[in-house]
Amino acid sequence: MTNELIDRLSADLEPTPPNALEKRLFLAVSVGLVATLLVGPLVLDLLVGRPFGGAWGSSMFWGKLAYTIGLGGLGLIAVPALSRPDRRRIWPFLLAGAAALLALGAGTIGWMQADWAMPVLMGGTALVCPWLIILTAAPLLSVLLAAMRRFAPASPTLAGLGAGLLAGGFGAAAYAFYCGETSMMFMAVWYSLGIALTALLGAVIGRFALRW
Amino acid sequence: MQADATEKRMRELMLAALDGDAAAYRRLLAELTRYLRPWFARRLSPSHASHAEDLVQETLLALHTKRSTYDRSRPFTAWLHAVAHHKFVDHVRRHAIRPTVPLDDDAPIFAVDDSANAADRRDVEAVLTEVPERTADLIRQTRIEGASVAEAAARHGMTETAAKVSIHRGLKSLMSKFAGSGK
Repeated sequence: MTNELIDRLSADLEPTPPNALEKRLFLAVSVGLVATLLVGPLVLDLLVGRPFGGAWGSSMFWGKLAYTIGLGGLGLIAVPALSRPDRRRIWPFLLAGAAALLALGAGTIGWMQADWAMPVLMGGTALVCPWLIILTAAPLLSVLLAAMRRFAPASPTLAGLGAGLLAGGFGAAAYAFYCGETSMMFMAVWYSLGIALTALLGAVIGRFALRW
Repeated sequence: MQADATEKRMRELMLAALDGDAAAYRRLLAELTRYLRPWFARRLSPSHASHAEDLVQETLLALHTKRSTYDRSRPFTAWLHAVAHHKFVDHVRRHAIRPTVPLDDDAPIFAVDDSANAADRRDVEAVLTEVPERTADLIRQTRIEGASVAEAAARHGMTETAAKVSIHRGLKSLMSKFAGSGK
């Protein structure tokens, strides 16, 4: 019985190139990123009515870009290790949490200097911002999770969380091009919330989809 | 030391297999089967010992489908241990088995090799040198390899009766030599 299995498996053997896992991830992130960038012009601009470059020229635009790409990058660091059965890499999540706290601290100082004015916190789009970030990140997250089904994560939940952080971070960066908000506090609260929700979504889906 | 040699050999086989060497792959899978079976069996309570074979197959299958997650620069045995452990936990959960693994029994996979118990076989061979060669061969064929007396007799060109007598005498003389101590 087991011998038959061995026969079948060795007949089915195909060479596996070095770094096959990284290559597959790179391909998935590239394809998913293109899909997520398409959400901007097709959905945010045409359906939601957000013009491109709403916050152009504000220094906060670059701040948002750096913050979101930084968080996405931490996800990108975590995912390859979390996709293997014999690896575990938690520090990118801790660093992401620390970055969010730092942004919240800086945002609170700015808000205080603005004398706790409500628009600094809420802007004009606070209640849709997290949802639109999830929407923008969704294509990237789907492609990524689909590609990761071939992997063997020691913890499917953590691997999903990493994928969610990656997709949430880069999705929020794509969203930032269509967002007109220019306050630090707004980004620290609503962008972080959108990214965190995407990461959580990834963890919940990963718990089931990445099981092996 | 022995574990290091095993790691080196297994890793070489795995790397060759990843490059598409089917013969190395077959050898790797066959060797792993021998180590994994007792490893799982020890982890399962005796009433679930029959699940060990399923687990071996699930692990081999996982090794096959998930082989791209093996990082070539890292130890192979650690990766395999992680895969086998994952399959064990998954199996126990799915079958709602309460595992009864003693806490100190976390011996590595490569501790026990249950391919034909080599030491025992050597002892048998040593004992069989005490009787004439033809008798020894008849005993080996009928009592160890499972051939019938008729088959063994035919191979030596003797009648079945003569073979039976020869086996009987051989065993009797061995008994008197080795069973005397009362053990």
